Amino acid sequence: MALGKIKADTLEHSTAGSLDTQYVVKGSAKAWARSGSAAINESFNTSGFTDNGTGDYTIAFSSAFSTNTFPGTTAGLGTAARSVNYSNSQTTSIDLDTFVSSTGSRTDTATGFQINGDLA
Amino acid sequence: MIDTPEFQGTHLFDRLCWAKENLEGHQSDYRVVYEDSVDECAKILVPDPNWMACALQGGILPPVWVYHELARDEAMPTFTKHTRGYLLHDTEPMPAMTEEEAIEYLIMKDCPQSVWRNWDTGNKPKLVICRKEQLPGTREWRNAWKITEELSVTDLAA
Repeated sequence: MALGKIKADTLEHSTAGSLDTQYVVKGSAKAWARSGSAAINESFNTSGFTDNGTGDYTIAFSSAFSTNTFPGTTAGLGTAARSVNYSNSQTTSIDLDTFVSSTGSRTDTATGFQINGDLA
Repeated sequence: MIDTPEFQGTHLFDRLCWAKENLEGHQSDYRVVYEDSVDECAKILVPDPNWMACALQGGILPPVWVYHELARDEAMPTFTKHTRGYLLHDTEPMPAMTEEEAIEYLIMKDCPQSVWRNWDTGNKPKLVICRKEQLPGTREWRNAWKITEELSVTDLAA
């Protein structure tokens, strides 16, 4: 592959210690996106967004995860109190479910998420 | 147009990093509307702009059958972890696609196989490719959206 490459096992600061690069490789998000109810606005490692109905979305990944038990974080965007769950994790997709926090009823909400874990 | 490096054998994630750095996202006007259950509303698949850029560029994405193989592995009751991830990275990447070919690929990747393999069986199509302007302008009654029964599986090209 015609790309520049730096190989290093450790990053070392002049005074503040060192860091094994595995922490960076293993610890960085492998997929993330910000989406509205009808499209993806910003993303990485996602292939498509499916609107399954009010407050019910599926995000598909391009580079699959090695397991379907990966950890992730989600957020509802905006000022209203919203809850965003992720469910039905597959190695190539997750479902995002968005609710009104006070009532638990589904609602359309702009969301953001990031998924960590190992890639296949 | 920038040339794609020789990516066969390179981890797909690294290819996506290259694409994010070098390709402009492409917001497609196409939408895929499908129904996978008579009891649920129609679902709408929207292509990711960065993914679409990769498809149009060529030399980045693996063939779609690779995803089907991984899905088959994952469906096994004994599945805990992928052992054939190399298929994503070592299989010869897809050449540049047109936007329409990319949508067909995405349907086969991200829609249930039960939908796209049998899209034209039944009284109306289970799947329709349309432009986003053809969708309702507001999300009122979103959970009641269905593919119209006026569409016939025999004259869809009209």
